[in-house]
Amino acid sequence: MSLVKIFSVTSRVRAASACNIRHAQYSTPTGGKVETVYPQEVPGYKYVNAEDPDMSFKAMTDRAAQTMFWTELIRGFAVTFAHIFKEPATINYPFEKGPLSPRFRGEHALRRYPSGEERCIACKLCEAICPAQAITIEAEERKDGSRRTTRYDIDMTKCIYCGFCQEACPVDAIVEGPNFEFSTETHEELLYNKEKLLSNGDKWESEIASNIKADHLYR
Amino acid sequence: MSNITKFLALDKVATFFNIIKQNGGIRGSLYKLYRQDELKDGTLVGEDKFGNKYFENPRFFYGRNRWVEYSDKYNMNYDGSQVPAEWFGWLHYKTDLPPHLDPSRPKYKWMLDGNENLSGTTGQYTPYSTTRPTVEPWQPKPRSS
Repeated sequence: MSLVKIFSVTSRVRAASACNIRHAQYSTPTGGKVETVYPQEVPGYKYVNAEDPDMSFKAMTDRAAQTMFWTELIRGFAVTFAHIFKEPATINYPFEKGPLSPRFRGEHALRRYPSGEERCIACKLCEAICPAQAITIEAEERKDGSRRTTRYDIDMTKCIYCGFCQEACPVDAIVEGPNFEFSTETHEELLYNKEKLLSNGDKWESEIASNIKADHLYR
Repeated sequence: MSNITKFLALDKVATFFNIIKQNGGIRGSLYKLYRQDELKDGTLVGEDKFGNKYFENPRFFYGRNRWVEYSDKYNMNYDGSQVPAEWFGWLHYKTDLPPHLDPSRPKYKWMLDGNENLSGTTGQYTPYSTTRPTVEPWQPKPRSS
């Protein structure tokens, strides 16, 4: 049955006469002979496959002349030459930077309340939801009786930057800040502890707060 | 008249000389070309506390129309992370307001300066434990004989 399907042309041709458009999309040359039964003028559709070259004598001599006089080569050089004078499309990175979304998920930071009190209450929701298990939290009661973390470690080399931690956080403490320029020379520098994360928050608070404000309608 | 200058691309020549003039003459332009690989003309939008200058020129396409010139004190050791957090949003096209014109940016006294990436220098971060260990290793008592 399948053999019959492969080799029978007649069924396709019949289908083509029933529905021109479908045949235009699926028509394949069978048996070396190229069929040109696809519709050239169907309103709303555009034939995108390679079309057969025009085999009239004038068209053939035109093509032969273009090959002989290397006009493709010269036109190619002309395009290259013209691009010398065009404005380059590359941005000059450390001076110019590309556009970034307020939702960009970069380097992590632990935020503080405006009073300077750290936000994190060690609920460990981020630790629970982290799919890469990059977060380690240990908590203890502080001297004033509040529940705070004593250890908040993120292994930035395990982190997959999914942003689940900041979505899980009930107090907006752990956020993925806008910074992406924190590449290091050694692995150990990416094993962040609580102090590093808090200092990230202190350094980036201006931008983190602006991002949250820019996105507040969608949160 | 302006049509003729446009046709002969004389306005481009004028822009060329204007760029050289703005970047401090021929010597200054050569130095900037060496340091920044590029010469551009623009209006100064502001300057941050480290001396980096921020420019804008809408003649260039989006993505290249805002740029920073790092302070001369950095010489050739400029780095992308030397842009302070306040200017980060403007430079990344998140906002059109430079920080000194944006009233909604918080300023708390516990906020820190200097988010430069110090990896590879003596100021780099080294991880350490912020708790005391829960498991104490056993220390054998020194023999008293």
